[in-house]
Amino acid sequence: MKLHTKMMQRLTSLWTSGITRASLGLAILCGMAPEALAGGKRWGPVPFASDFGYRFEDLFWLITWLCVGSFSIVVIMILIPSVRDRYKPGRKAHFDHGASLKDKRLATVISAATFLVLDAWVLVIAMTDLREAWWNIPESEEAGVYEVEVLAQQWAWNFRHKGADGKFGTADDILQMNELTVPNGRSVSFQGTSKDVIHSLFIPAMRFKKDFNPGDINSVWFKPITAGNYTILCAELCGYAHYQMFGELHVLESDTFDNWAADASELGVAAYDSEDTEARWAWDWKE
Amino acid sequence: MSGDHIHAEPTNFFRKHVFSVDHKVIAKQFLWFGLVWLGIGGIMAMLIRWQLANPGDPVPVIGSFLFPRTGGVIDPATYNTLFTMHGTIMIFLGLTPLIIGCVGNWAIPLMIGARDMIFPLLNCLSFWTVFAGGCVGFYSLFVPLGATEAGWTGYPTLSTTVNGLGSGETLWAIAVFLIGASSIMGGINYMTTVIRLRAPGMTWGRLPLTVWGLFLTSALNVLFIPVIGSAMLLLIMDRVFGTTFFVPASIMQGGGGGDPILYQHLFWIFGHPEVYILILPAWGIIGDLLSFFARKPAFGYRAQVGAMTAVTVLSAVVYGHHMFTTGLSAMLGESFMLLTMIISVPAEILFFSWLHTIWRGNIRFTVPMLWSVGVIFVFGLGGLTGIYCATIGTDIFLHDTYFIVGHFHLTMAASALFAAFGAIVFFFPKMFGRMMSPLLGKLHFWLTIIPLVSVFCMMFVMGYAGMPRRYYDHTSMEFLASLQHMNKAATHMAFLLGSAQLIFVFNFIKSRWFGKPASTNPWEVGTLDWQTETPLPHYNFKDIPTVVTGPHEFSHPALPEGRDWISMTEELPSA
Repeated sequence: MKLHTKMMQRLTSLWTSGITRASLGLAILCGMAPEALAGGKRWGPVPFASDFGYRFEDLFWLITWLCVGSFSIVVIMILIPSVRDRYKPGRKAHFDHGASLKDKRLATVISAATFLVLDAWVLVIAMTDLREAWWNIPESEEAGVYEVEVLAQQWAWNFRHKGADGKFGTADDILQMNELTVPNGRSVSFQGTSKDVIHSLFIPAMRFKKDFNPGDINSVWFKPITAGNYTILCAELCGYAHYQMFGELHVLESDTFDNWAADASELGVAAYDSEDTEARWAWDWKE
Repeated sequence: MSGDHIHAEPTNFFRKHVFSVDHKVIAKQFLWFGLVWLGIGGIMAMLIRWQLANPGDPVPVIGSFLFPRTGGVIDPATYNTLFTMHGTIMIFLGLTPLIIGCVGNWAIPLMIGARDMIFPLLNCLSFWTVFAGGCVGFYSLFVPLGATEAGWTGYPTLSTTVNGLGSGETLWAIAVFLIGASSIMGGINYMTTVIRLRAPGMTWGRLPLTVWGLFLTSALNVLFIPVIGSAMLLLIMDRVFGTTFFVPASIMQGGGGGDPILYQHLFWIFGHPEVYILILPAWGIIGDLLSFFARKPAFGYRAQVGAMTAVTVLSAVVYGHHMFTTGLSAMLGESFMLLTMIISVPAEILFFSWLHTIWRGNIRFTVPMLWSVGVIFVFGLGGLTGIYCATIGTDIFLHDTYFIVGHFHLTMAASALFAAFGAIVFFFPKMFGRMMSPLLGKLHFWLTIIPLVSVFCMMFVMGYAGMPRRYYDHTSMEFLASLQHMNKAATHMAFLLGSAQLIFVFNFIKSRWFGKPASTNPWEVGTLDWQTETPLPHYNFKDIPTVVTGPHEFSHPALPEGRDWISMTEELPSA
């Protein structure tokens, strides 16, 4: 017991010394430093490549600054009393139940400000964005809409293009697995479902994701604005190889795309096997 | 009201320590039970972090013991099991027993001046049901064909036989069902006890905030656990009896006419209130502790109670924000977004009250106080990042990424855990008659909050960078491999966080048997629990006390010089 008391005393003096605390903080920072300083690393998302991508970025950073502002107030309100109002024997704390009319008014004003500034501001922008972008799924008749059907399965993405005849479920359909080729500058509209469990089509560069559920068809769209190659991920846990369920999106300029589509459609006809029922999944486009 | 509510003191060992009906013993049972599971869930978290930082490398030291079949390597199936069971264990077997089972059983009767819970036998049954649930859950890890791999949310059709035939998933559902049944028993007991057994003078307006938080949580438990219970029953029927509640017709393997989204509705009608089930007691506890240690009345007591009640009412009507990407209709999506945003108003009232409670106080930075201020900090971070998740425009990208993982760990897990630590240290002297070491407590606090905040803030950056959650390996494609450095840094911090918990274990065990003996009222507070003797007599109170003063009358101007608190049983001198 005596040895133990001595040890505790030594620990106390160690802990109370500023050097220990400072070096503790330093050690924690140093633990992270080697990783942080090395080059060739990504610290944020890849640049957006869809026409509504900027909406996500704008909203994200608006919320971020609102949060930084609000959280700073909280931290200051913690720090000031933590330093100024530390325990002193004999001093009495300010006696206040916070039930006066003044306090109630202040609380009401701050509540209203929270709702109007933080909530309503974000809400209005988000609603506008949703109506103009994510939920504004283009109609089939609209000029230039490119339609793709998606069948997700454990653990692959199947994509079906209409092919030369402009109809789904025919011999000249283009089928792609874990690879999707679309034209730049045209709205790409998806309808998707799943063969087995729930999957979620996530294309980070295009700033959207959508679950594809077995037994139901979900719609989603985006409009690429930059040609290039982008990663397709599955965002909903789908079992053993969930982490391997990824693919690549190729956004081609329209003339390159047209050539590719014509070739692929011909190849599709050549490879068509009417016996292969597995490969003949398709549905009439749901309006 | 409660004078004759007594049962005889047990004489044999089993009735005294094992199948005890005494709330004090049951509280300690919940405490040990919760701490053991917190440890198991924590080790799982460490294994998850190891795999993420060093994908496919054998786990050092314990690896060959835990995963002998693969030579210590965590395979994808095991990885899925680990995060599934980590979530289930931490929520249902770690935090719930600690913050509701232990704190509830300990604080409610003592703080309201009762001799026991109103249904002591039900209380005993509640503990042994959750114990059985824990055993079933643990056993499910070792069954042939594998344990559950469907995530703690257990979404069909991944959790139905479409994905796996093993009994692990079924046993998981049975475990959740049993744990839920235990929570319902506890909820009924807590609510009835608070309504029926308050000491004379203990009006609703004088209830300590801890009791308010636990009371509201109990209401949520009783209302919404039955929903998850039914979801689990339907899932078990789908798996065992071949029904198709959640299996749609188009599924190749002989599907029926069910709907997997139906499960998500059922799950989240429970699942979102579950967040508040864990956080309401935390809010109540820190509402009290901040006032106790700032030596000031709880600022806006009525506003805090009102805000907690408002959150309780709103809890079930915001659940749709978990399902924004499932194909929810635009009208529903926007409604749930608006309703979720409204939660920020009562939350703001709580922050306003807490920050004003410590403002111009005479703050004693004891260990419980540190944890309480820690809750304000982490809940602030977690709550504010909730705005991103509630806003569909940002959630469409951030959903199911690490951003969400960071958000809910700070909001629900860290806040509830911090409040639980604060409550354990606070109630320890009365429970065991000894003080926990404040030095080790402070060291534990700082070595917990710093790495914890770093880990989960790192996850915000990872999520914003587009890293999906529940991935076994982020290095297998270039898009995610360029983010691996953050995974490594987060893992270093997580290991520091994990090892810091050993300080708590040491402090807890050492103080339990060798700590400094505690006085009757070491924190100098006025609530009824601290006006009793230490150690507590079998019936808590020889005579049921009469309450004449509120719980937070610290630093009242009428108090004599040199004293800044007054017992709830004492009249204020000025009266």
